[in-house]
Amino acid sequence: MTTAQELRDKKQTWWDDVDVGHEFPPLVIGPLTSTHLFRWSAAIENWHRIHYDQSFAVYHEGLPSVLGQGSWKQSILPRYLKDLCLPDGWPWKVSFQHRAMIVPGDTLTIWAKVTKKYQEEGLGFLDLDVGMRHYAETCPGRATIVLPIRNGKPIPYPFVPPKKLSEQTS
Amino acid sequence: MSDASQGASALTPEVKGIIGATAEKIEASFPWGIEREGLRIFTQAIMDPDPRYWDDEFAAKTKFGGIITPPIYCTYIGRRTRPGADDPITRAFEENPYSDGIQGVRTPETRGGLPNIPTPLVRTLNAGNEIEVRQYPKLGDRIFSQAKYADIKERVGKDGSRMLIVTTETVYTNQNDEVLCILRASSIRR
Repeated sequence: MTTAQELRDKKQTWWDDVDVGHEFPPLVIGPLTSTHLFRWSAAIENWHRIHYDQSFAVYHEGLPSVLGQGSWKQSILPRYLKDLCLPDGWPWKVSFQHRAMIVPGDTLTIWAKVTKKYQEEGLGFLDLDVGMRHYAETCPGRATIVLPIRNGKPIPYPFVPPKKLSEQTS
Repeated sequence: MSDASQGASALTPEVKGIIGATAEKIEASFPWGIEREGLRIFTQAIMDPDPRYWDDEFAAKTKFGGIITPPIYCTYIGRRTRPGADDPITRAFEENPYSDGIQGVRTPETRGGLPNIPTPLVRTLNAGNEIEVRQYPKLGDRIFSQAKYADIKERVGKDGSRMLIVTTETVYTNQNDEVLCILRASSIRR
């Protein structure tokens, strides 16, 4: 887990210092409990009983346990990328698929590895493979982040993607 | 098997005609906008203690100039029950004591909805999502959303069955019509 103080003191990772193949420090969350799942359901008002009602999940739905929410997983990945980019980088975009289920007791390792490094309009981009791993890869995906270049121009905020890259996205 | 799932193309002129269809733009947040308590509950649920979400003094010194929210926060605030609404949980369980907590609980949102896709392929599977972040919402921001069918493609399975890959794009904006976040959700219809 990351503490508030670590995020307050986070030193910038520079685009110049990262190469293809670089693996960012992972974020480890867990072991998850049914209480964590319930807290997320309450936070977003998702009342599907498979996420907090053990009897319903097991005896009615035939599941091994209450299930971790896909919506929680898809909120953790952007959070992780935000942390990697702090204080002045930008976690531009992330795509992923939902694969293996997560259940209480699981410990998740959220990770990112650089697959491509390039510049566009003077900004430093990194394409990443990302994921969330327990006994399997539960949320594999790809992301693109922008890290500042030493003596380069500031990353604009609000972020406006370079036209060439924006056209590839939409 | 229907004609659409075996043999005949599922990407009919009627289906192609719905690509680009855009829903009404609606306000996803409550009229008072993003507030601290909702932000606290959300960020604690994703276990993110970032002081940019709660420490005014620190946040004011960042490039964002004040308290921000997680990038994906605006995609969830439209799901909450509006004040004054009939209690959806009580209603659902009165209608069906065995409700799964979804059926009958989540009020069908008629505002901001996209038209149905004219296809006999009704089974829907999540094929993945993409989130593009342009700007973090701030305290007090009012959030608006607008969905459209960005693309519909046909894919043929190994068994010859045809399916549709539907990509829905929802753009979230603030009260100044600035783009905050774009959610692209892909689903398989088979």
